[in-house]
Amino acid sequence: MDLTGSQRIEAPREAVWRALNDADVLRQCIPGCQELVQASPTEFVAKVVLKIGPVKATFAGAVTLSALDPPNAYHIAGEGQGGVAGFAKGGAKVWLVEEEGATILHYEAQANVGGKIAQLGARLIDSTSKKLAGEFFGAFSRIVSPAPADCVAHAE
Amino acid sequence: MFPFTYHRPVELASAHALLVANEDAKLLAGGQTLIATLKQRLASPSDLVDLARVPGLTGMAREGEALTIGAMTRHAQVSASPLVVEALPALAELAGRIGDPAVRNRGTLGGSIANNDPSADYPAACLGLGAAIVTDRRVMAAGDFFLGLFETALEPDEIIVSVRFPIGGWAAYAKFANPASRYAMAGAFVWKGEGGVRVAITGAGQNGVFRWGAAEEALAADFRPAALEGLALDGDDMIADIHGSGTYRAHLAGVMTRRAVARILERGSP
Repeated sequence: MDLTGSQRIEAPREAVWRALNDADVLRQCIPGCQELVQASPTEFVAKVVLKIGPVKATFAGAVTLSALDPPNAYHIAGEGQGGVAGFAKGGAKVWLVEEEGATILHYEAQANVGGKIAQLGARLIDSTSKKLAGEFFGAFSRIVSPAPADCVAHAE
Repeated sequence: MFPFTYHRPVELASAHALLVANEDAKLLAGGQTLIATLKQRLASPSDLVDLARVPGLTGMAREGEALTIGAMTRHAQVSASPLVVEALPALAELAGRIGDPAVRNRGTLGGSIANNDPSADYPAACLGLGAAIVTDRRVMAAGDFFLGLFETALEPDEIIVSVRFPIGGWAAYAKFANPASRYAMAGAFVWKGEGGVRVAITGAGQNGVFRWGAAEEALAADFRPAALEGLALDGDDMIADIHGSGTYRAHLAGVMTRRAVARILERGSP
């Protein structure tokens, strides 16, 4: 599934860009992230607990940044194995546009899940992905800018 | 299955203590979602706290102008209860159409609303009837209880004791069930009484059950199915999955709302 959206962040673009590359900020924003360790400037090792309704699965995986164009855009991708639960992977193209001292963060994300978690959750994967993307960018906005910002997201 | 410790406390306080002492503990009510999830190994709680032997969590009673139903009351008991059939027939009907006989004989009211599956039936009744959710520490209005996809206002160690449904007005529930699971593809619980109209939609919204404000306003002005003509939910906000698109569900929610209104009128009320 594809997910696009944008979010206004009350902070200069440079600050937003730095936060997008900061392991500590990313760890706080990725829903259920227990650990995020930087392995190289563009690679992180992550442990994420996915909790949706009755399902609770721990995913071990990697987060990779690519197509870096500071301070404008990058592509962030993550994939993880959740043991018997299955696998999950997703990525987002993120780009930043300056607007009157604030920054508009745009994203185009894709998410895929497979294995049992996909079987059981087939009716809810889109809604879940949208919720998780919303949580990520919502948390990101709260950390980078002091005031809460409007969030607009829609699934396609 | 994987190993876990099974507890069957006989007091509410000990059930609560077990939740507090074990961070990865899960409450077991009817188990109609939880046990399937455990079998699939999509969750592996360290402890299961079975509420079956905790006294005071089952049964139905009329107290003044409210019907109180214990959290561990099974769907089949609600649908067959003369008390519910008389006081809130729409609620008895709804309970009688949840899942299949196995689900109805094991599944519970409290378990259903605590899970808050976006396609479950009971959340629509709670919201539509303006119910109050009673827990071991507070009373919440249904509107404050359901927060989103599988999300409720419950604290991790909070236990639902009962649900209080106000009696009065006229109500009907119409749902289009998925033929395999009997989950609502879209369900509309419509209530009309003193204080206006409520329309609660389940099965359709990305964030779970919700009240359809525009339909409530239209029906408050003119309580007929035709009053909903031209009104539509936004397909982008609806669940899209292998069973149906968001646009389809938005349409279906409108159809179910009209059917529920028609049913209320057929029965010769307002």
